Amino acid sequence: MPMLVAEGLTKKFNDVLAVDRVGFEADAGEIFGLLGPNGAGKTTTIRLIATVLSPTEGTAWVCGFDIVEESQEVRRNIGVLTTDIGAYDRLTGRENLRYFGELYGIYGDRLEKRVKEIGELLEILDFIDRPAGGYSTGMKQKLAIARSVIHDPSVIIFDEPTSGLDVLASQTVLGFMKKAKEMGKLVVLSTHQMSDAERLCDRAAIIHKGKILTVDTIANLKEATGSAHLEDAFLELVGAEPVKVMR
Amino acid sequence: MKTILTIWKKELKDNIRDRRTLMAMILMPLVLMPALLIGMDKLVNYQRERSKERTARVAVDKDASASALIDFLKSQKKIEVIGVEGGPEKGIRDGKADIGIIVPADFQDRIKSGAPARITLVQDSTKMESQESLAKVNLAVSAFSGRIIEGRLNSSGVDNRLLTPITMATKDISTAEERGGFGLGFFLPFFVIIWAIVGGQYIAIDVSAGEKERKTLEALLLTPAKRLEIVLGKFFAVSTTAVVSVVVSLTSLYVALKVFGLGPMTGALESGQAQGKALAAAGADAAFSIEPLAILVMLGVGLLLVLMFSAILLSIAIFAKSFKEAQNYIGPAYLVAIMPAVVMNAMFGFKPTDWFYAIPIVNAMLLFKEALMGSYVVSHILITAVTLIVFAIIAILVAGRIYSQEKVLFR
Repeated sequence: MPMLVAEGLTKKFNDVLAVDRVGFEADAGEIFGLLGPNGAGKTTTIRLIATVLSPTEGTAWVCGFDIVEESQEVRRNIGVLTTDIGAYDRLTGRENLRYFGELYGIYGDRLEKRVKEIGELLEILDFIDRPAGGYSTGMKQKLAIARSVIHDPSVIIFDEPTSGLDVLASQTVLGFMKKAKEMGKLVVLSTHQMSDAERLCDRAAIIHKGKILTVDTIANLKEATGSAHLEDAFLELVGAEPVKVMR
Repeated sequence: MKTILTIWKKELKDNIRDRRTLMAMILMPLVLMPALLIGMDKLVNYQRERSKERTARVAVDKDASASALIDFLKSQKKIEVIGVEGGPEKGIRDGKADIGIIVPADFQDRIKSGAPARITLVQDSTKMESQESLAKVNLAVSAFSGRIIEGRLNSSGVDNRLLTPITMATKDISTAEERGGFGLGFFLPFFVIIWAIVGGQYIAIDVSAGEKERKTLEALLLTPAKRLEIVLGKFFAVSTTAVVSVVVSLTSLYVALKVFGLGPMTGALESGQAQGKALAAAGADAAFSIEPLAILVMLGVGLLLVLMFSAILLSIAIFAKSFKEAQNYIGPAYLVAIMPAVVMNAMFGFKPTDWFYAIPIVNAMLLFKEALMGSYVVSHILITAVTLIVFAIIAILVAGRIYSQEKVLFR
């Protein structure tokens, strides 16, 4: 079974169908894109997979664990970087990481080792002992990434990870995704930034109005729509006239 | 279990670094208690001294014939008689006098002939000076009246002791401790209740609604920690803070009482209360000692009270989506909590039936009073403890439920 499988995943909020029978598969060592405009249902899909929300219908498996039946195990194997990058401002970066490490069941020397390891990888050791309240947006984003992978999960999901970041900070995030892929993780990138997706993703699912329109490799997506860029392919797929799309 | 401990430690550390929590938890109870004591002491003494020292200005009609009564008043200390043009009423209205006295023209004749004479005291009941002066003039008139009686009896050869066949003396069998306990029982339960709420209020909001506002909640919910573990960790952090706050307030109150005595507090209650004298007596003794058992009972009940309040505060604050919203909910909740206790406190000599001990907060209040007066009723303590624990558990479970509700978390 692939690392992440979604099957008929559906979520209704009152009468609004936010996610409509979403299904896809993604496996270790790839960066899988979840592409769609704002409000397409990307964040809800991620929250369902991350077991923060429970599906109205359908299910998904993370590393073989059912998101409905085995939510604890799913959470242990998944790391999610949400759009909102909050940190505990009165705690230092290290204290933030220790807290989440312990919540994931990592204690003592193992935890210290892991903090050092991830700190080096994300280059946050310079400021890790300062209160997070004084961090710049880029520093906070790095800390947020470190926090979401402190338990070394097999599946890492990034939800709009570069929104609000400058070029340099964005580079760090994108760079980390590549590294994670090389380490054999499954990286899921949810974004509306087609340029990021085009550069990083191996395959992508196009999601629009809660539904998956298609799942394919980036090259195939472009070829099928006869587009030179992923952005054009995307517009073609969601049936929008390019000029009318305001972003 | 380890998860609860992790969350408890983190929330405490996080909040101790926040000056606002420290203020609510330690500084306010530490400073406010003695400040309140000294403040009340000064205020009461000031009022008492002022009214004792002040001269009552009594207006009489300028044209009125000077009677023996007026002369008597003039001879009194702290009474000044002022002749006013246009009558006493005008004198009071113009602020020249605090009180007026109207003595009819035939006053002297009636006294001489042995007929009852009537005088009218004019006052303005909305002015405190007028009230005080009235009391002074009343006393003086009574004394004058007594003199006349004495004169009349003497002239007819009667011993004036005949008029007072019974003389009364009162003897208070309450001990200094009981009176002290009675006085303490009036305000101490309030302080415990107030700090049990206020001490935990800030951190309760910070760890729940605050976490939503700072956008850290989702990351927390993404961890394998169970919802109930998260709630319990936060709950214990809130309780810890509130307990510290209660202990600090009681300790500083104890020290303040040792230094300044119980007098001022009870003195403040004196005015208008039937128990005023007993309280004043307790104040005069300034003796108060609290039995170790009373301390034990109060700490136990205080702890249960804190647990219940913390759980309720937390579930309210978890429901709110922002700091501001949480504060809006907690304000009225605070009033609801304190009102029954206020009413209960105002009812002197109220003998509660057993089921009163099943009303949270009211029961704690009643138990505090009992313990301070050296009375321990096992059934009361048991009913109170069970009630508070049940309410605390319900509130925690509600908080846990709220943390599992998607709508509340992501609205």
